[in-house]
Amino acid sequence: MPLINLPAFAPDLLADFAGLGTERVDTPVIQPAEPFLDMAGEDLRRRIFMTESETGESLCLRPEFTIPVCLRHIESATGTPRRYAYLGEVFRQRREGGSEFYQAGIEDLGEGDVAGADARAVHDALKVLSNRLPGRTLKVVLGDQSVFEAVVAACGLPGGWQKRLIHAFGNQDRLRGLLAELSEPASKGVFGAEVERLAILGILDDAAKLESHIDETMQATGYSTNASRSPAEIARRLREKMELASTRLDAGTLETLRAFLSIEVPLSEAPQALYDFARGHGLAIEAALSAFEARAQALASAGVDTAAIAYRSAFGRPLDYYTGLVFEITAGDDPAVLAGGGRFDRLMTLLGAKTRIPAVGFSLWLDRIEQAIEQGARA
Amino acid sequence: MTVTIALPSKGRMKEDASAIFQRAGYTIVSVGNDRSYRGRVEGRDDIEIAFLSASEISREIGNGSVDFGVTGEDLVREGLAQADERVEFCARLGFGHADVVVAVPEIWLDVETMADLGDVAADFRARHGRRLTIATKYWRLTQQFFSGNHGIQLYRIVESLGATEGAPASGSADIIVDITSTGSTLNANHLKILSDGVILKSEACLVRARKPGHDGDPVVREIVAAVRGAL
Repeated sequence: MPLINLPAFAPDLLADFAGLGTERVDTPVIQPAEPFLDMAGEDLRRRIFMTESETGESLCLRPEFTIPVCLRHIESATGTPRRYAYLGEVFRQRREGGSEFYQAGIEDLGEGDVAGADARAVHDALKVLSNRLPGRTLKVVLGDQSVFEAVVAACGLPGGWQKRLIHAFGNQDRLRGLLAELSEPASKGVFGAEVERLAILGILDDAAKLESHIDETMQATGYSTNASRSPAEIARRLREKMELASTRLDAGTLETLRAFLSIEVPLSEAPQALYDFARGHGLAIEAALSAFEARAQALASAGVDTAAIAYRSAFGRPLDYYTGLVFEITAGDDPAVLAGGGRFDRLMTLLGAKTRIPAVGFSLWLDRIEQAIEQGARA
Repeated sequence: MTVTIALPSKGRMKEDASAIFQRAGYTIVSVGNDRSYRGRVEGRDDIEIAFLSASEISREIGNGSVDFGVTGEDLVREGLAQADERVEFCARLGFGHADVVVAVPEIWLDVETMADLGDVAADFRARHGRRLTIATKYWRLTQQFFSGNHGIQLYRIVESLGATEGAPASGSADIIVDITSTGSTLNANHLKILSDGVILKSEACLVRARKPGHDGDPVVREIVAAVRGAL
């Protein structure tokens, strides 16, 4: 397909990708919609362009490349590690800017050296951007989901609260709301009349009795045959919820979480800052911190100036397949994100891979890079 | 200019709407016979009546092909993006009451609030290999309520155009978003409404399409005032 609206720098970008030892792949523009909706949720429906095949299958115009590249890898059943590069048009309804635009990027699948692969993703993104924008200051913001998860686990919060917090990580408002709820000693779970009745009967205190009561009710009401949630699952979560309702969080734990979420230092100082934080609050999170430090070292050995990368502890993406590194790159004082990336070790198995395949990658917003080049030319 | 009012074409909604307009001083008569889809107001050549189905009415107000309509707020908010920018709810008419609610199986003893549901949704994929599914015909209202108001993203909608309450027991969905007026159908299907799960308290409304020609139009103003006065 001749693409006359391709950014002028596209051939140079592809040459860079090839020089970085990647394998160029293409994916169809028309994709099955299910995987995108399944991974990102129903909200995506309003932002993608959907249609239907003659047989009723939901299809969409490719809204991004990561899922198609991963699906292609799973279908072609080639071994790992593989490093794929892509460049092509994506289609999304955006508030600003056109709804068809170009993205390019690299997906690194199956590399066992996590720190090395993370560092290479950040390094490669910086390299191809600085080749497009020579002399411009590139700003990197970096976060790490796994450090937050380790902190939450080490705080000894009840399981339900850990899940809520981890699920909200990356969504500032939601996380702030949850912490406010945690700090309010009056916040209790809401229980229905039936639960109160069972409490009076003493059924709630006995896990086995509770489960068999739920089972009998489901049998009697015809809910057993097709039920998704089993009596055991409902009973377990009900007990978990009762435990939460009777838990008071001490001020110290909240203070620890708030202190963690406010850490913002250059990456070169971040490992030390995190060790100090962990020691100061008595948290055992060595495993997460040594992985974090290994990545920072790998970045330094790759020749990346880690003093110029900002580590922000609260930075993440509220999607459940992101597992570790997340980063974004901007140029100068312009807030437009030119590159975004991260580690998504959970995605490949969610998409149907038989074995766990670690994955990290980044994508570039070519229209914004084009604008940044034009701004540079005018300045 | 002739002002067009779209009214429900049949059933209780038609009778109730006609009664309100009668009290407001507008006697509505069908053109031709009773089954006709066109009507007029006695003694008023400047008002036209179009009898349409309730969901058509919300669409026609949305694209401005009628000036006013009487229809349920739920249908307008479901059918139109940015409803408040495109239409004005001039009066709530006191009939056609129905709540759009989130309902889950009664036996989900651990789920009483949207926050509980958020926890279940977040875990669902890991436990069941698929996302939590919601049977509904209210795509837009569900999305706005779940992600906009409660930060819940991880679910899938299964379109259901009828007998939605049966979906959880039959296994075609886990929970539902549907309208209820008395709650008896929900009870009969062993479903319960979440304590903060009322998405919209809907009723029949007089709805005006926001059209530039309406500014200063005396007939438009008169109709709004007369209907409000009749409540």
